[in-house]
Amino acid sequence: MARLIDLGLNQLTIIILDMASIAEKTVIKSITSYKEDNMEATKEIFKTSAKLRFLQDEVSELTTELIARFQPVATDLRYIKSCMEISYGFSRFGRYAYDIIDTLEIFGPLELCDKSLVISMSEIVLEMMNTGVSALRLLDNSLSNKIYEMENYVDILYKKSLREFAANIKVNPVYSDNRCNISSALILKYLERISDHSCYIADSVNYIVTGLSSPRR
Amino acid sequence: MPPPPPPPPLPSSSDTSSVENNARNMPSASSLSSDTSSVENKSSNLFGKDKPKLSVTSLNAWFAGKIALKNINIDIKQNCVTALIGPSGCGKTTLLRCINRMHEMTPRASVEGQIILDDLNIYDKSSDPVIVKRRMGMVFQKPNPFPTMSIYDNVASGLKLNGIKNKTLIKNVVEESLEGAGLWDEVKNDLAKPGISLSGGQQQRLCIARALAMQPEILLMDEPTSALDPTASSKIEELISNLKKNLTVIIVTHNMQQAARVSDYTAFMYLGELIEYGHTAQIFKNPAKELTERYISGKFG
Repeated sequence: MARLIDLGLNQLTIIILDMASIAEKTVIKSITSYKEDNMEATKEIFKTSAKLRFLQDEVSELTTELIARFQPVATDLRYIKSCMEISYGFSRFGRYAYDIIDTLEIFGPLELCDKSLVISMSEIVLEMMNTGVSALRLLDNSLSNKIYEMENYVDILYKKSLREFAANIKVNPVYSDNRCNISSALILKYLERISDHSCYIADSVNYIVTGLSSPRR
Repeated sequence: MPPPPPPPPLPSSSDTSSVENNARNMPSASSLSSDTSSVENKSSNLFGKDKPKLSVTSLNAWFAGKIALKNINIDIKQNCVTALIGPSGCGKTTLLRCINRMHEMTPRASVEGQIILDDLNIYDKSSDPVIVKRRMGMVFQKPNPFPTMSIYDNVASGLKLNGIKNKTLIKNVVEESLEGAGLWDEVKNDLAKPGISLSGGQQQRLCIARALAMQPEILLMDEPTSALDPTASSKIEELISNLKKNLTVIIVTHNMQQAARVSDYTAFMYLGELIEYGHTAQIFKNPAKELTERYISGKFG
């Protein structure tokens, strides 16, 4: 016989997986728009980002209610705590997706810029997101290590890229249009943050499964 | 993604090995309990403060030839609250009754094994059950004040039965005990009234005061709040937290949240065996045994 709390936990799972799907699509859309210099998706990305924020509030309400009504323990408690954190992560994905497209909006068309660094980092970050979501769907903490390794690589790439942009600026002190360097630096920062939040999702999956906090810390 | 996955079927009691059953090596875990600091633990080890107040070893108990406790091994820490949890009939109350030698008073009940209270083996032939009982107070599920006695006499009864006649001493102990039980302010002007004139929660605290009057080292509580309303239960729980400053408390409870709130350590029993024993925070956040997880999460049945 199902426990009463299971109804709430199932509802929580549905919302979280819904958020995962929306967050993933939103980030992909944002990066594609940046790549194609297409600002048409800005409104749509803003809307989905707001929806993710709304769903995060819904998760927060539901988890609070489940705690108040059922006083969960053990796996149930860890699952609920993790859902709070994971929903925040997905909400941040939405926000960074919006920030990426907003960069395009602020700096104007960037079709002449070399976007290769951003694109190659975005490919890694999208894979991290996807792996994180898979780990969550399957509650498979064996995928965590892959995400952690990729995050290390993203960090290195991020710092290396920033140094390269700085060097570009120094080499051309009279160059008046640094939009490419600045926009790339900003977007790399957002990608780096998405990479971090992918790791937090992996941490949460690990916590649900083992009860131990992140092995990275 | 599931909600937490469906657990495997319950193991039979024989699946829990005696090695698993040994609760001596308690896991370290951060918790809200009173003894969390590793530094503190190390230093207290140096001075022997970590020596258990009560040590149960290889304890078996029977009712009419039917085994009720199987090879129980558990160390109860001093000045801590230890909660015994588990489904009805798992042996929690039997363990409590073995600890204060009440079990053997039941016809056709028997017990074997060792229970060491400080350095006294309470089942040693030379050990006097009366003295053992005097060192341990017991509070039962339903408040049971002596119905014909006043509030004052309920608390003083143990002292008088033990031959203490000094009225000033008795008066002081009664006041201290009622204060210790958090009842003094409520009854100080009504000490001559019958104990049974009090509310259920007050009666239970009166019973605690009666136990405290004998200055026990261990207080055994068998579902002390199951007959009380939430407010009275809450007062008893606060009292338990205060009492552990001066004595060691072992509480049997069916209320998981109560165990989580009041205890420093929790022992989960099932079919007469000790399945898991550890810091309360660890048991309720991350139990080591699937069986414990299933019980505390309400996944039994």
